[in-house]
Amino acid sequence: MQNQNDPSQKILIMGVGNWLMRDEGVGVHAAEQLAHLDIKGVDVVDGGTGGFHLLEYFERYERIILVDATLDGLTPGTIRLIRPKYAQDYPPSMSTHDIGLKDLVCSIQLLGKQPDIHLFVVSIESVQEQGVTLTDKIKAIMPELLNKVIAQAATLRRELSQQRA
Amino acid sequence: MSTRIVVDPITRIEGHLRIEADIENGKIKDAYSSGTMVRLLEEILKGRDPRDAWAYVGRVCGVCTSIHSLTSVRAVEDALDIVIPPNAEIVRNIMFCAQYMHDHVVHFYHLHAMDWVDVVNALKADPKKTSELAQSISSWPKSSPGYFSDLQKRITKFVESGQLGIFSNGYWGHPAYKLPAEVNLIGLAHYLEALEWQKEIVKVHAIFGGKNPHPNYLVGGMACSITTDDISGLNAERLAYVGQLLKQGKEFIEQVYIPDLMAIASFYKDWGAIGGGLGNYMSYGDLPWNGYRDTSSYKFPAGAILDKDISKIYDVDLRKDDEVQEFIDNSWYEYKEGDKKGLHPWKGESKIKYTGPKPPFANLNTAEKYSYLKTPRWKGHAMEVGPLARVLIGYARGHQEFKEVVDKALTDLNVPVAALFSTLGRTAARGLESILVSRWAQDFYQQLLENIKNGDTRMADSSKRDPSKWPSSAKGVGHSEAPRGALAHWINIENEKIANYQLVVPTTWNASPRDGKGQVSAYEAALRDTPIADPNKPVEILRTIHSFDPCLACAVHLYDENGNQISRVSVLGD
Repeated sequence: MQNQNDPSQKILIMGVGNWLMRDEGVGVHAAEQLAHLDIKGVDVVDGGTGGFHLLEYFERYERIILVDATLDGLTPGTIRLIRPKYAQDYPPSMSTHDIGLKDLVCSIQLLGKQPDIHLFVVSIESVQEQGVTLTDKIKAIMPELLNKVIAQAATLRRELSQQRA
Repeated sequence: MSTRIVVDPITRIEGHLRIEADIENGKIKDAYSSGTMVRLLEEILKGRDPRDAWAYVGRVCGVCTSIHSLTSVRAVEDALDIVIPPNAEIVRNIMFCAQYMHDHVVHFYHLHAMDWVDVVNALKADPKKTSELAQSISSWPKSSPGYFSDLQKRITKFVESGQLGIFSNGYWGHPAYKLPAEVNLIGLAHYLEALEWQKEIVKVHAIFGGKNPHPNYLVGGMACSITTDDISGLNAERLAYVGQLLKQGKEFIEQVYIPDLMAIASFYKDWGAIGGGLGNYMSYGDLPWNGYRDTSSYKFPAGAILDKDISKIYDVDLRKDDEVQEFIDNSWYEYKEGDKKGLHPWKGESKIKYTGPKPPFANLNTAEKYSYLKTPRWKGHAMEVGPLARVLIGYARGHQEFKEVVDKALTDLNVPVAALFSTLGRTAARGLESILVSRWAQDFYQQLLENIKNGDTRMADSSKRDPSKWPSSAKGVGHSEAPRGALAHWINIENEKIANYQLVVPTTWNASPRDGKGQVSAYEAALRDTPIADPNKPVEILRTIHSFDPCLACAVHLYDENGNQISRVSVLGD
C-alpha cells in the first residue's frame, strides 16, 4: 500500500503568475478553480510570484503540471503544452515573473534533479494592465484550459500507476 | 565625448528597471535610473475593504510578499487604533526574521555573488587547497577535498554539456574578477548549498502564515492559533520545528555566509571606496521587542543621517506633511495641482501620464521625464535606504550589538569606518545585520515560548472587526524595514472603504529619478565616478546596483548605440 500523502506518488498542479496583473495571473486563477475540484491524487498549489519559495515543490514532486501566461505573440487565449527540459526551452518573455520559473528549473538541475515538467502556457496580450480580473478573451478559454490540465493530470496518474504495477 | 550604455534589468516588484550611463575617460560621468513599467496597486485598492488590503499588496512580489502584508495590516491598525496582542507581535517578528535570513542569503549567493565570483575559474581550483582554505575560515563540516573535487566534477560536466543554464551569461574571465580559484570554488559550492538551505527557512512562513508563498496576515493580530489539541494549530511539535529551523538558519549565516562574505571582501577592498553615493541614510526602524508603538524597543532603531555625519541622528516623522513627500518632476505622472509640488502620501495621487518614447527605443530622453518611479524625499533630501542605512543608524545610535559586529568586520578587513560608505559597505552591512537578525530570531522565539508557558495564548484583537465600530473617516500609516529598506503604506479610510492607499517602497527611494532641483537619488549617485574597464561588459555597474538588492530577478540586456542587443546577462535573483 502506497502512502497517500507521498508527493512522489502524486501529481502537482501549480499555477504561477502575478494575480495583480490581469491576464498575467491566469495560472493563479486556474489554480484557484482547480483547488476547489479536489482531484484525487493531485495537489494544487497557487505559486503566485513565488520564485525561490517554490523550489521545495519542484524537489518534492516528480511530475509537475505548470500553468503560466506567456507573451509569445500568438493569438491571445492560445493554449499550448510545452515539455521544457532546459531554461532556453521556455517560451519568450514569460511576462514579469519569468526569471523565477526558468531559474528555478536551472537550479533544480544544478542540484542534480530533473522533475518531469508539463507546462501549459496561455498566450496573453499585455502584461502592462493592472487588475485582479481576467480579460474576456482569457475568461472564455478558462474551461478549455481547466479541461486540458485535468486530462493531463489523469494521463500522468495512469502512467504513475502503470509504473507501480 | 562620452558614450552612453544601457543596462536594462527586469525587476519583479517594480516592473523593469533600466540604467543608462554616460561613460567618459573610463568612468561613469552621469547615470540615469528608470523604472519602465507601470505599478498602480493604488488604483486596484481603491474602494476595497481595508481588512483585505494585505492580501492584495502581498501579491506585489513573491519575495517581499510578507513584508508588504505586514506593513498593510500595521497601516490599518494605525488608522483604526488597534493594538495587537504580544504573541501576534512576536509571530510577526519571527516571520520577519525568517524572511531576512532567506532574502539576504539568497541575495548574496544567487543575485550578487556572481558579480564577484568567477564560476568558470572555479573549475581550475585545487580541491585540496580549497579544503584547507575552507577549514581555515569556518568550522562548516562540508569542506573535505573530496567534497570540493566531486562538486568540481559535477559542474565541469554541466559546463561541458553546453547547458550552463544560470551561469550562461556571466562576464567570466573579466579582469575585474580578483578571487583566487579556490575562493571561487568555495563561493560556487555554497551557491548550491544555499539553494538547498533556503527551502528550509521559508517553512517558518508556512507554519505561521498557513501557506507559502503569500502567507496569511490578519488585521488585529495573526491568523494562527496556539493550541495543544488542534493538529492544524500551533502545537508543541510545530513550535519545536520553528525553533529548529531558526537555529539552522543562524548556523548557516554564521558558518557559511559570513566567512564567505569576509573572504571575498578581503580581495575587493578597493570597492570600499567606490559606489558610496548620497551619504544620506534613513531607517524607519523595526522588530519591536515591546510592541510596535514603543519605538524605543525596536531592535532596528529609526532615524536619519545626513552627509555621512554619524554624530548626528535625526528623527523621522511619517505623519508630518512636510517630511516624506513624493515628487514627479521626472516621473510619468500628473498631479492635479501641477507637477512641481511634492505631496505627502496621505494626499498622494497616482495618475499616470506617459510622455516617454514609444518602445522599442534606444535611449530615454533623460532631459525630460524618464521613469515610472516617483521621487520620494525626506525634508527635501534624497535618502538611501536598506541594510547600510540600518546598520549605520544602529551604529550611530550606539547600540552595542551593532558596534560589535561592525567593529569586528572593520578590524578583520583592516579598513577604516569610511569604507562603510561604499558598494562593499552596502554588501557587508547586509551580512552583518543578518548575524544580528539570526540572533534576535532566537530571542523572539524564546519570548513566544515564555508567553505561552505563562498561559497567554491570545493571537488577535477582534474588538474592531465589525466595521460599524470604525469612525466614518480615518487615516493611518504603517511602516516596516523590508530587507531592502524602509517601507511604508499610507491609508485613508472613508465609510469603511479604502479611499486612498499609497505605498512608498525602498526601491523607489533608491532607484528614483532626480528631483526638480536636479538632486539625484541613491542609484544615480552611487554610479557616478565608478570606473568601467570595458563598456561592453559593465560588471562594475552590476556590482553597485546589486549591492542595493533591487527587488528583482533580473535579466540584464546590454545594447550598443544602435540599440542592438549585443549580449545579455541573466542574474538570478529573488
